Amino acid sequence: MSTQPTTSQPTLPARPRRGLGRDSMVRIATAVIIIGLWEFFGRQANPLLVAVPTDVLVATWDLAKTGELFAATGQSMLAFGVGFAVAAAIGMLIGVLMGVNRTVEVALDPYINALYSMPLIALVPILMLWVGIGFTAKVIIIALFAVFPVIINTLAGVRNVEKNYLDIGKAFGAGAWMSFCRIVLPSATPYIASGMRLAVSRGIIAMIVAEFLTSIAGLGGLIINYTNQFETAKAFVPVFVLAIIGNVLTAIVRVVEDRLGAWR
Amino acid sequence: MKTLSISGLSKTFVDRQGRTVEALAGFDLDVAAGEFITIVGPSGCGKTTMLRIVQGLEERTAGSVKIDGREITGPGPERGFVFQQYGLLPWLTAARNIAFALDARRVPKAEQKERIRTALETVGLAAFADHYPRQMSGGMQQRIGIARALAVDPAILLLDEPFGALDALTREILQNEMLALSERMAKTIMFVTHSIDEAIMLADRVVVMSARPGRIATIIDIDIPRPRAGRGEEIRESPAFAHHRRQLWEHLMAREVAA
Repeated sequence: MSTQPTTSQPTLPARPRRGLGRDSMVRIATAVIIIGLWEFFGRQANPLLVAVPTDVLVATWDLAKTGELFAATGQSMLAFGVGFAVAAAIGMLIGVLMGVNRTVEVALDPYINALYSMPLIALVPILMLWVGIGFTAKVIIIALFAVFPVIINTLAGVRNVEKNYLDIGKAFGAGAWMSFCRIVLPSATPYIASGMRLAVSRGIIAMIVAEFLTSIAGLGGLIINYTNQFETAKAFVPVFVLAIIGNVLTAIVRVVEDRLGAWR
Repeated sequence: MKTLSISGLSKTFVDRQGRTVEALAGFDLDVAAGEFITIVGPSGCGKTTMLRIVQGLEERTAGSVKIDGREITGPGPERGFVFQQYGLLPWLTAARNIAFALDARRVPKAEQKERIRTALETVGLAAFADHYPRQMSGGMQQRIGIARALAVDPAILLLDEPFGALDALTREILQNEMLALSERMAKTIMFVTHSIDEAIMLADRVVVMSARPGRIATIIDIDIPRPRAGRGEEIRESPAFAHHRRQLWEHLMAREVAA
């Protein structure tokens, strides 16, 4: 899955430089037009409901000045970080166990698939009942959302190791542990990495959902609070911060992915 | 140098439709120490299966494989294997692919560096130690595959259609290198191929197999003096080569017609 729109690639590779420059111009122009239209039509709407870009800029400055924005971002990112780490660790562990042991796979497979496909938001109120509405609750919800793509991709990776690669280990007398560490895991790495990428976006959704419904803290808390106070400009600020965070995190996973997959 | 003694080797398996397939039915062969054996036969004759059983990669249904009189139960350090599709791990450099085999064989790290260097020099790829498989041609990758098998210093070398995927020219070059290696290193070698010319060029004896169930149809002694390395063209044009070629054709064709 690529988020890069393929249609924007220059079709003539002979002049990539000019093509790239032109593309950037088009993109900047599009952004200017969108922001301009938003500013223009926004000003004619009810200012209580619609904030225009200049309002959002001012609101960003306000929220930054009071430190509120940084505190909220910190709270959100801490919960996300812990939740994602838990999901990554547990997800890889379960995925590997399912991949190497058929009994574990048969036992867990139906539940993993069912939970992955169902809208997990349905579980959030019940979870709140069990674990409360604090930081732990947030972490659990994030981990729950993020863990399934990691499990499923790790399993697929461990499963799809080429038999030829395993034969190499066998032919030279590598033990099960060595074969696992040096053949199965590296061969599964691209799968695990794309599982992580999915986990990042699901984890961010979970973080916001959790903040809406539980602790009323972090970036999600800001959105809810300022929307309730009809301060739409301020409510927009965390939305943009989230957009930036989402893209930055995905880019980081991509870089790690490319590093690990340099041999391909 | 070690001798290899295979007797009554059989393999049956059940295919997806539930039918019993007899891949190998009573394969007997004694390989002398330092002998170069090539094995030819139609596809599906079980030659690869036989070789994989000897390496310990596959289970046998019946029969025995003995090295210097001792029954083998799995892969062992006295055997090195070269795979059809080079069998390199794509995420490791050439040197690390060799190091992998040395680690598996528990060769001390201190000794590995020297062994890797020697192995790469032997196949003429010392400069490519840090290259990944995808950065190398098929011929180079298979040279690395051979270097890896040599690095573990086995007495017996088993090669499963190692040059099958290479273009004709690269193939001849590697055949010549194989001859040079075998004539210099005195190893017991079993080499599976589907090329008649390759089988004659390399072997002391060519084993011809018949298909379904796989067994030995005939064994032909190759009457071409050694050393042969560097004399490829001369040998290919010799009457002895032509004679062996006709012999092998007749055996293989007779089987095809009978089948």
